[in-house]
Amino acid sequence: MNGYTGYLIIEPVTASSQRTEVMIMADDRKKMFAKHMEIKYTKEHGTNKMEGGEITDMNVEYHRLGVDQNPRKLEMRKAGEELSKKRGLVGYNPMMHCGGIPLGQRALTPSFLSGTDDMVEIDDLHYVNNSAMQQMWDDIRRTVVVGMDMAHETLEKRLGIEVTPETINHYLETLNHALPGGAVVQEHMVETHPALVDDCFVKIFTGDDELADEIDSQFLIDINKQFPAEQAEVLKETIGKTSWQAAHIPTLVSRVTDGAQTSRWMAMQVGMSYISAYSMCAGEAAVADLSYAAKHAGVISMGEMLPARRARGPNEPGGVSFGHFADIIQTSRTTPENPANIALEVVGAGCMLYDQIWLGSYMSGGVGFTQYATAGYTNNILDDNLYYNVDYINDKYDGAANAGTDNKVDANLDVVKDIATESTIYGVENYEKYPTTLEDHFGGSQRATSLSAAAGSAVAIATGNGNAGLSGWYLSMYLHKEALGRLGFFGYDLQDQCGATNVLSYQSDEGLALELRGPNYPNYAMNVGHQGGYAAITSAAHAGRGDAFAVNPLVKVCFADDLLPFDFSKPRKEFARGCLREFEPAGERSLIIPAK
Amino acid sequence: MAYEPQFYPGATSVAENRRKHMSGKVEKLRDVADDDLAMILGHRAPGSDYPSTHPPLAEMGEPECSVREMVAPTPGAAAGDRVRYVQFADSMYNAPATPYFRSYMAAINFRGVDPGTLSGRQVVEARERDMEEIAKFQLETEMTCPALGGLRGATVHGHSLRLPEDGLMFDMLDRCRVEDGNVIMHKDQVGRPIDKKVILGKPMSAEEAAKRTTIYRVDNVAFRDDPEVIEWVHRVFDNRTCYGFKPEN
Repeated sequence: MNGYTGYLIIEPVTASSQRTEVMIMADDRKKMFAKHMEIKYTKEHGTNKMEGGEITDMNVEYHRLGVDQNPRKLEMRKAGEELSKKRGLVGYNPMMHCGGIPLGQRALTPSFLSGTDDMVEIDDLHYVNNSAMQQMWDDIRRTVVVGMDMAHETLEKRLGIEVTPETINHYLETLNHALPGGAVVQEHMVETHPALVDDCFVKIFTGDDELADEIDSQFLIDINKQFPAEQAEVLKETIGKTSWQAAHIPTLVSRVTDGAQTSRWMAMQVGMSYISAYSMCAGEAAVADLSYAAKHAGVISMGEMLPARRARGPNEPGGVSFGHFADIIQTSRTTPENPANIALEVVGAGCMLYDQIWLGSYMSGGVGFTQYATAGYTNNILDDNLYYNVDYINDKYDGAANAGTDNKVDANLDVVKDIATESTIYGVENYEKYPTTLEDHFGGSQRATSLSAAAGSAVAIATGNGNAGLSGWYLSMYLHKEALGRLGFFGYDLQDQCGATNVLSYQSDEGLALELRGPNYPNYAMNVGHQGGYAAITSAAHAGRGDAFAVNPLVKVCFADDLLPFDFSKPRKEFARGCLREFEPAGERSLIIPAK
Repeated sequence: MAYEPQFYPGATSVAENRRKHMSGKVEKLRDVADDDLAMILGHRAPGSDYPSTHPPLAEMGEPECSVREMVAPTPGAAAGDRVRYVQFADSMYNAPATPYFRSYMAAINFRGVDPGTLSGRQVVEARERDMEEIAKFQLETEMTCPALGGLRGATVHGHSLRLPEDGLMFDMLDRCRVEDGNVIMHKDQVGRPIDKKVILGKPMSAEEAAKRTTIYRVDNVAFRDDPEVIEWVHRVFDNRTCYGFKPEN
């Protein structure tokens, strides 16, 4: 066992990821959640009468004020009453809970988005109530990466048509008209209204600096500008002289149809644009080759198709691998020096997509999953645990938690046990020393997610190895269970009880590299509170190494685009903006509905 | 020499209490009358017959079966009782029991039980009279402090909330209160009012709860201070990991 004795740590100076180095004893370490706990639990919010006390108090007075204490619940109750009156049919009524006992018999408290100073109502963290969360998923679902080289070869080698930077620019201008639903080639066609599909566009990227220089800047995702120099070099070298389109179909189209629509919609408009831009015959056989390349051979979906029992096509959340998801989130290029922050942003985004939307809605149909998921990205509890781990690792393993490749520690079971044990016990003890954190994470599954995500991400950062991180996750579960005599709910920890066995299994479908696992992996397909953590561990391994990407450089570059409505470099801040009703989503229909 | 189960590692009072819970060798502290138990469970009226889902096994003419011959039915199964539940929640502030150790106790010491283990609660489903036996066992012994744990059929998040000023584990449905030094229950498991106040006994003092608890806490017996348990967890972890990698080792 490793007790902590005091060493160089990094104290957070704000709730953001901006930190400054100071020398203090570990026992005096300022807890990152302290400020949030104080505001949540010792200040009055709404009319919950929770003024006073300390965040370390074990006793408190519960006022049993029901929904009347909370502004958002009151707003919702009023809306429910108006709805009932308007339609002559009852609707939302918080007094229906438990035969008339109102929700909120204990204090209803707000939450903070971790890594921000934004205080929000927890109801606003349900994706139905949060336009930023909706847009994050919209922006993933409506995106495909499409290769240009096969089409160019068809044009050049089969048809003898010259392809130059000028023709590519002309083609892209055409496609940015056609992809949202503008007509080319044929006349007297209906078209989509540009104001309804204003979020739809296509850009290209390439590892070839010479080609990139000749592409009109409006069409280019400039790797040199979007990424730190070292990452840019790796990305360009990996992508080479190939060129790719990052295509985002209209949010509105994607919402009305599904993820599998994305490649079809894109391919149809791509085909028409080639015909138009290169003055082809609309009926010549080469069009079929272009179509095949766009629909199948040259297209990369964000998510793979799922088997029939889950009945989803490509680009649905159950098919988005943890590696792809780690690449979709862009924090790795904005704070490359801070691997923990990268992992924490992936946790937040991953818990939202995988728990709230995929398992919570697609798979289960319920609304309760939000409560599990938010534990991973609110109130800095997980953040505190992971940053403690970073300090612990840097102290004991000579800076192994700093971004880099030559400072990593060996990925062996002794290292996993050391880091994961220290991380878990530190986190468990915080729940014991700070009863308000225990009250915030009032479910064992919430605590398990937070503790294991911290442990797993820490191991991954230190070793640069995702499967070692996963191993740390499972050990954390075992330790947590034995410390407290409880873990998650019935099914929650099912996969954790047997998880260690498949980290390095000799059976290929069980022992897969974490980057290539996803929500439909055996045992992962059913239980909330895991997949966001797994995605974080994936990203942590590569963030710890300072890698430019986790598994797919094309996906990483595709989302390095400021024109996307959702900022993938800081998803937690975006969720906060959604809660505060400041986020501007795409795909709105106000143009075509009566004004209110 | 007859085999003696060791049940659990560890050198601390928490480890010892875990061994006691698992072995079923726990101290009886109070009495709960059968009719009172029936009332707070809320499944049948006190004194009424047990509803049945099939005739007594003796009257059913069971098929010839070696397993049936080897395994004597529990009283509830023999009588044809329906399956009913008892669910406990235990505070994380030194309640004597924890969900896993309630489940281990049930599975090791009682037959015909279906324990379910969650973070805030622990449920046992069994034939009704068998379930009542295990419910009574837990309520009457040191496994339960009536203030820090108790019957909760629904809404169990009080297990991790700070304690109210009266020392009772928070309960949104307000099923229990302290009256004249005793904890009384005036609603059943799922919060329906009952006709009398059922006395569950005196709350344990903070010192007694700390002595009898099966949860490690940094302000009582810290988990990190029981190295044998941590070593054992590591061994389980090593074996599971290595088995998946290379089973022959």
